[in-house]
Amino acid sequence: MTSIVEAEALEKRYGDVHAVRGVSFDIAAGTCIGLLGPNGAGKTTTMRMLMGLTRPSAGRVRVFGKPIAELGRSFRMRIGLVPQDDNLDPDLTVRQNLDVYGRYFGIATATLTARVPLLLEFMQLGERGDAKVMQLSGGMKRRLVIARSLIADPELIVLDEPTTGLDPQARVLIWRRVLDLKRQGKTLLLTTHYMDEAQRLCDRIIVIDAGRILDVGTPQELIARHVAGHVFEIAKPVPDGVLPDALEREDIGDAILVYTAEPSALRDRLPAEIDYIHRAANLEDVFLRLTGRRLRNE
Amino acid sequence: MAGQTPKLNRYVFAVWRRNLLVWRRIMWASLTTNVADPLLFLFAFGYGLGAVIDQIAGLSYLAFVVPGMMAYATMFAASFETTISTYARISMQGTWNAILATPVTLTELILGEALWATTKGVFATLCVLGVGFVWGGILSPQGALIAIPVLALGAFCFACCGLAATAHAGSWDFFAYFFTFWVTPMFVFCGVFFEVTRFPWFVQLAAWLLPMTHLIAVVRPLVTATALDPVVALGHVAYLAALAVIAFWLARRRFARRVFD
Repeated sequence: MTSIVEAEALEKRYGDVHAVRGVSFDIAAGTCIGLLGPNGAGKTTTMRMLMGLTRPSAGRVRVFGKPIAELGRSFRMRIGLVPQDDNLDPDLTVRQNLDVYGRYFGIATATLTARVPLLLEFMQLGERGDAKVMQLSGGMKRRLVIARSLIADPELIVLDEPTTGLDPQARVLIWRRVLDLKRQGKTLLLTTHYMDEAQRLCDRIIVIDAGRILDVGTPQELIARHVAGHVFEIAKPVPDGVLPDALEREDIGDAILVYTAEPSALRDRLPAEIDYIHRAANLEDVFLRLTGRRLRNE
Repeated sequence: MAGQTPKLNRYVFAVWRRNLLVWRRIMWASLTTNVADPLLFLFAFGYGLGAVIDQIAGLSYLAFVVPGMMAYATMFAASFETTISTYARISMQGTWNAILATPVTLTELILGEALWATTKGVFATLCVLGVGFVWGGILSPQGALIAIPVLALGAFCFACCGLAATAHAGSWDFFAYFFTFWVTPMFVFCGVFFEVTRFPWFVQLAAWLLPMTHLIAVVRPLVTATALDPVVALGHVAYLAALAVIAFWLARRRFARRVFD
């Protein structure tokens, strides 16, 4: 498969702050890659470097097979960005926002006239075309930002925390649309700190923290590699000697997460008075395993 | 990032058009203030100063002050647009971030902003021209028409200077300095209300460094149909153009560092 994006040893320093410390990865055409990491991990900076919006301090980026510097403006035509902050034009209507944005891509009026209603329909904003952006709910604004990113029918769509701060209904709607885009053959790069989002949408996940890649793989691979199949979330205090030393564990404050491949063996050892939840391991556990220690040390 | 040489193209126009669309919603309010401002000035100064000053530079005070106010209106509008308004678009609305993720280059974005501010500057000066004309303060309507392109160049120059300042602004407080040490001096020292020659030589020298003095030196003779040496006029115009180019270059360099680094 051809690579749409190739990042090689990317680094970014802001003065003394080393935001990204040598990040390398490829994004294959037609896949959805998740950049997963806590706030301040370097997700947005990495994404900005891939789009040529921030100059890397070191390393190389190739997009659509060429270094960004050689691509001129043409490669921007092929990328749609959904930024973290809603930078819509608050004084303009929903339709005007799309129209104005389309002109930044040099799209002809006739094309825009045909495309804007389709995009509004796709993002379920068909009824709100004449509404002012200020009158929209958070979820609608987000949907409009996504519609806007699709105005030039891009091959690559970069979504920076597309559902942060939204209610569950709004998130589900956005996920459905992202999956639609994937089905249409678009390449997607998604940054998020929601594990469920990454698990649902991404073919591959890059776990990033403190500017470094901690691991890369499919959600299943990451779970298999870092956490045994089952998790017991045991409320503190846990009496000494109850937990076998051989089992991996993670202290998350008021509880301890214990990972095991043999749930019945552990369940039998737990005293009746202990409060616990038993569930299948998920990406969240991977994330805590990989980044948890750092959080605890802070 | 590409596009070092500013060129007029559809991308520049797209930025200009975006600002026009937003402004269209407040157009009537804008028209009202732009017309009311010179009306208030002319009314107050006409009664106050006009009664005291019989003639200035061989002209009635009204005829003298209207071209000065035309220049002032264009300067203020272009300066305000490229500082307070542009900074709001950059820091509060994220407009620049949104635009820079599209094929529009930074140079085109800055040029679009400068041309939009020029448009507002010309709009403001036309409002003063209209009021001045009705009030009987335009001695040469033909001259005033010739003055408009010069005022547009002035507006472009002030816009580029404003953008160069905004490129260096770290917060809103910065603009207090900009208005106190750039806009206000051009209001009081550059010949809006009286001739620059009334100042001691060192103030005059400083005044001639400011673009406003050069703009008024061309606009006033045109609007009042008084003598204007074409070579001298060309010199003033060249000064405005040169300053615009330098300020644009400074703004572009500084914004590039702020945006991409």
